[in-house]
Amino acid sequence: MRVQKIVLNRVEGDVNLKLCWDQNGKISDAYVVAYNYRGFERILQGKDLLDALVINPRICGICGHAHLMATVNAIENLYKNSSIDIEITEKAKLIKQITLCSEIVQNHLKWFYLFVIPDFLNFFPSLETEKFKPFVGEKWKKALKFSSEIVKVIAIFGGQWPHTSYAIPGGITSEPLKTDIVDALSIVDRLIKYVEEEIFGMSYEDYLNVKDLEEFLSKSKGGDLTTFIDFCVKTGLDKEGQSYEHFITVSTVYPCINEGVIKKKKCKLNLKKIKEVKDFNILYNKETGYTYANGVRYDGLPMQTGPLARRLTSETELFLNLYRLYKDSYLVRVWARVDEILRILINMKDWLLKINVNEKSYIKPKDYKKLYGEAFGYVEASRGSLIHKVKVEKGVIKSYNIITPTMWNLGSRCNKFKSPAEKAVLGLEDPLKAQMVLRSFDVCSVCLTH
Amino acid sequence: MKNLVWIQGLTCNGNSHSFLSINDTMLDVFLSNINILYHPMLTSEMEFKDVYKLLLSGKESLNFLVVEGAVNTKKDEVFFQGFDVFEILNNLKDKSDYILAVGNCACYGNFPALYNENVKGLQYRFKDKGGFLGEDFKTKSGYPIINITGCPAHPEWIVRTILSLNFGYDIKLDNLNRPKDFYMYLAHDGCIRNEYFEWKVEAHEFGTKEGCLFYELGCRGPLTHSPCNKILWNEKSSKTRSGMPCIGCTEFDFPLRSKYFETKTNIGIPEEVPLGVTKRAYIMLSGVAKTFTNQRLNKKLEDTD
Ligand code: SF4
Ligand code: SF4
Repeated sequence: MRVQKIVLNRVEGDVNLKLCWDQNGKISDAYVVAYNYRGFERILQGKDLLDALVINPRICGICGHAHLMATVNAIENLYKNSSIDIEITEKAKLIKQITLCSEIVQNHLKWFYLFVIPDFLNFFPSLETEKFKPFVGEKWKKALKFSSEIVKVIAIFGGQWPHTSYAIPGGITSEPLKTDIVDALSIVDRLIKYVEEEIFGMSYEDYLNVKDLEEFLSKSKGGDLTTFIDFCVKTGLDKEGQSYEHFITVSTVYPCINEGVIKKKKCKLNLKKIKEVKDFNILYNKETGYTYANGVRYDGLPMQTGPLARRLTSETELFLNLYRLYKDSYLVRVWARVDEILRILINMKDWLLKINVNEKSYIKPKDYKKLYGEAFGYVEASRGSLIHKVKVEKGVIKSYNIITPTMWNLGSRCNKFKSPAEKAVLGLEDPLKAQMVLRSFDVCSVCLTH
Repeated sequence: MKNLVWIQGLTCNGNSHSFLSINDTMLDVFLSNINILYHPMLTSEMEFKDVYKLLLSGKESLNFLVVEGAVNTKKDEVFFQGFDVFEILNNLKDKSDYILAVGNCACYGNFPALYNENVKGLQYRFKDKGGFLGEDFKTKSGYPIINITGCPAHPEWIVRTILSLNFGYDIKLDNLNRPKDFYMYLAHDGCIRNEYFEWKVEAHEFGTKEGCLFYELGCRGPLTHSPCNKILWNEKSSKTRSGMPCIGCTEFDFPLRSKYFETKTNIGIPEEVPLGVTKRAYIMLSGVAKTFTNQRLNKKLEDTD
């Protein structure tokens, strides 16, 4: 058996892939290895509860806003669990959802153009693919421009991106004007146009009615997704890269994301069934450990989380059909992430229009120093379901536990199962493809080890 | 074109994402003047090991080494693209014209340094000189490590500093090695709540446009060196403009403090007063300001004349 170590670039953070090859030249085992542990859960112990609002966004540079929302959520749930009133206006809820979703759009755009497509330059060098080339390609630059545009929506309400803490228990710190909302609306509108024209090659109304791959290709006037599908079919990545057929989404973002679990069939989510595994984390197990990350299991099973899981638990017809034919292949997993850009933008527009500026931004809750007990915060982040759990005594953090989406997808294995990403590269014959399949999970080692 | 190599230690990647949020005009100018030889998230043609070889052999020159993230003074603790960051830095420190520490982790150690004494910034550990590279270290150009602080650093602070050096300007640094052009301002300068500050009209609660956040809600604007309200974030806003207190994230002591949303007071007087005035003078001044009622500032903004 030959063992090969690959260092991944064009992902978030530093990740190694250890591949074991069998005699037939196929991958027989794979280990996703992440170092660079920073110890955020330790840092939080003994800190004032509200400090978590400032500390936690710093867990991750690309989904820090999701960490902020999970923190706020957990603290607000602490109030509820302690039967202390906490009131949050519809306006504050809408704005938080809008900024959270802006971060997701930013992520998916950068990821598709900066991380994913450049791999195909190696397969198909041509003038056409040059457009996607880092630093010089016009498509590359445009994606960067629009990802910088959409985070302006976060800045309009929250002051800046990355790393604001404008969302707090009881609401938000800002009080936007109607013209601020118009400003945000115009950015979202411009992005919808860009996405229609450049990515999907059709209007969003048409896209939302597409039911399968053939229909998509026949309707599209040729966008980057069409080019991407073509690349996948030519390289076999439309079928390769499949993993376990288990998916999880832990929270609902009405009306575009529904929670749920899929194990063969869709079933109801029972959050009590979520457990972390530490057997192969170096921090807890010097002998067997191979990474600094824990894994997560639902009812003992590994689960994929993220945009594809969200599409399947939300029972979106296009993805039910794609999944039937191609399973969770590289193509389908990537498409689900790209799909979400449009689905979310459309809803953001709607939410912006629903904001009633006359409502309060913030209603001061009772003193957090009275809080005892524990609570969870559940949020959909770019890469999937994010869970924070906080234990508190008199407003001081006793313990803080974080389960990130990447821990579900790329965390350490258990005695029975590899992680979904480790499973997905088995049987592949090309190390580049193994890297690509790994990238299709939107790797973030920063969140993975935190 | 001058070469730039971007490496990472213990980081959240926030400075890279901040950098990528630059407006397209600046990005275009940057890319047409600076050759990004390597950035872990962006480069597709070359792997770090190949770039590293070229730099070590002197086949490529290293003009700008950008470091994001805290580093460790012990070997085998922090890795970048399969190499020990400890070794990369020791091998490249004398080959670079300029080394820029970008973001508070690379400058001062920040959160990753809180519980590990070996984790440091490049030339500081919090406010103590003598980070990873030692107190007296200077690069070939004669500059010490140039600290672009912030958690994260603003993209324009990064890009404009590099371009200034590229265009041959001398840059003046403050006593924490930060470019004066940016860090001589306070976050307070340009805050749209300044009128409330002057007349000592405090905001008692979040979620309002009215009132200054200094007296009760923890704002560090008058004590924090940063042009956040001069060069706005994402070209739109800033923390204080959106009602969030400045948490002083450009200063060495950012993660050492706590209760970011409260102002520590002593018999009603803020424990720390704006830079440049004595506590006594400040108490007198604010006392006087309070005795004049500025009618305008006691109304909702929408209702003022
Ligand atoms: S809110 Fe902060 S930055 Fe703004 S005026 Fe008051 S003290 Fe200065
Ligand atoms: S306003 Fe203060 S906290 Fe905000 S980014 Fe600037 S220096 Fe950091």
